[in-house]
Amino acid sequence: MAKSGSRVWSWASAGVLLVGGLLMLMPFIWMILSSFKTPAEIIHTPPTFWPSDPSLIAYKTVLTRAPFFTWFANSLLVAVVTTFLTLLTSGLAGYIFAKFEFRGKRFLFVLILLTLMVPFQVVMIPTYLIVAKMGLINTLWALIIPSAVSAFGIYLCKQFIEGIPTDLLEAARIDGASETRIFFSIVAPLIRPALGALGIFQFMWSWNNYLWPLIAVNEQAKMTVPLALSYFNTSQHGARYDLVMAATALIVIPVIIVFLIFQRQFIKGLTLTGMKG
Amino acid sequence: MASTRLPAKRVGPSVAAPRLARPKSLFRPTSLFVAGSLTPIVGLFLLFSILPILASIVLALFRYSAIDPSPPFIGLANFVNLFHDPLFLKSLGNTFEFVLLAVPINILVALPIALGLHSLRLRWLRDGLRALYFLPTAAPIVAAAVIWAYLYEPTGGLMNMALSHLGVGRVVWLGAEKTAMPSIIAMSLWQDIGYNIVIFLAGLEVIPAVFYEAAAIDGANRWQQFRHVTLPLLSRTSAFILVMTMISYLQVFAQVQIMTNGGPHDTTRVLGLFIYDNAFRYTRMGYASAASVVLLVLTMVMTLVQLWLLKRSTSWEY
Repeated sequence: MAKSGSRVWSWASAGVLLVGGLLMLMPFIWMILSSFKTPAEIIHTPPTFWPSDPSLIAYKTVLTRAPFFTWFANSLLVAVVTTFLTLLTSGLAGYIFAKFEFRGKRFLFVLILLTLMVPFQVVMIPTYLIVAKMGLINTLWALIIPSAVSAFGIYLCKQFIEGIPTDLLEAARIDGASETRIFFSIVAPLIRPALGALGIFQFMWSWNNYLWPLIAVNEQAKMTVPLALSYFNTSQHGARYDLVMAATALIVIPVIIVFLIFQRQFIKGLTLTGMKG
Repeated sequence: MASTRLPAKRVGPSVAAPRLARPKSLFRPTSLFVAGSLTPIVGLFLLFSILPILASIVLALFRYSAIDPSPPFIGLANFVNLFHDPLFLKSLGNTFEFVLLAVPINILVALPIALGLHSLRLRWLRDGLRALYFLPTAAPIVAAAVIWAYLYEPTGGLMNMALSHLGVGRVVWLGAEKTAMPSIIAMSLWQDIGYNIVIFLAGLEVIPAVFYEAAAIDGANRWQQFRHVTLPLLSRTSAFILVMTMISYLQVFAQVQIMTNGGPHDTTRVLGLFIYDNAFRYTRMGYASAASVVLLVLTMVMTLVQLWLLKRSTSWEY
């Protein structure tokens, strides 16, 4: 049914989208090009676009001057543990809210949903005081524990688990399966798509988080990647952008690779929020 | 993707099921399971979600600095001082400026892009471009802020380089009062628009093709199809996007702190930055908490108003 008029339209809109996509990519291209410039070229005026003498010296300097691997390790550890805990708590709580009854259940669930509307700045000060009281400031636990329970995760899992026929679970109970067995062997595998999406979502959120680590951590050795980048940027006082861009590239490229690999699950997770909302 | 609900929801063991020859001990494992799993989860939730919200409100009534052993209760003094504080009022104004500009632009750019992507026939092209538009969102916001700070560099940055090729003089993007906020808005849109494009796209994909076919048979052209099929059926998604984007932009912090830190002359000082600085740089935690309560009230009011307004116009279910 495609008339020639709409064919032109399709080509034109595809072209516009491609140009737009290129514009989206431009800052990243600029980042990479700048990271290959020599120290002399980066301060050269007028500035150049392409590196005239591409070299890896900026990367070498960054990797030797800054504790990059520590930062990466910190971010990785925090993200992995937080994601694992979130999946566990969201799955369990979602299951209980979906398939069990108890007094105050509705009230509690509404309460959980309401917290989704609360900006982080509202809770950050008391959370800091609580974590400080627990003696966990400047530890990686400070970054993990407050994020272990996710209201969004609980909501998502509850929605999914409601679709599981209760008779299936009852049959398992009659067969003598324990509740934990039912959860881990029956329920969890059935909500794997939700858990996958939630997991990716949580991982990237934890990896990219800035404000809370900024508050909770100020030792270089305990920093996560975004925080460390900010400190590194400030430490260069706006002069050595070759180093800053190299550091940024080292941080951005792995994340982008992870995103491209898990694209499907990530986007599915995003749309789950928009659809069920 | 509607979840299938069973006609009769099974209730737990607390309700009288047909009392067969079920030994009492069989009830215990279930309640034990519920109590055992829910207690730590709810405990963490109360400790890190509910308690801080309440504590913030209480803290706002004290003059609290981290070093003071016994903070004095000062009632609503913090709130009174806030609304006489020119910096706070400026922060409020800047935040509104940011939200009122960035939210509409975001949505008005995201929707056409999503529509364009949706109309692409080739799956690989559509998915590839979608990934491209989402790339800035996948990266940490600090990275985006740092890259754009360099982009905006008056001497070495890409922006002025491009301008000089067009014969225009150099602009001090982040350092001039008139251009600082728009510069931050531009960066925020770049970083953020991927979310809304993806969600719009998902909303578009769920609209059944039959509606378009029926409209085409009735003689509707592209624009009419958009107005009478797409827009109404997208209203739920649009409402969601509007509220979520607004909530997110009310709290904007990272890029402002990194790119301008409120300057020049507090023209980009937003509420998020005001709260952070007062709490953790000036250790005026009571004062900062009061400001955060204002942010909370603002967020809730604007959310509820929007939801109410949208409920009146959103009636399309299918």
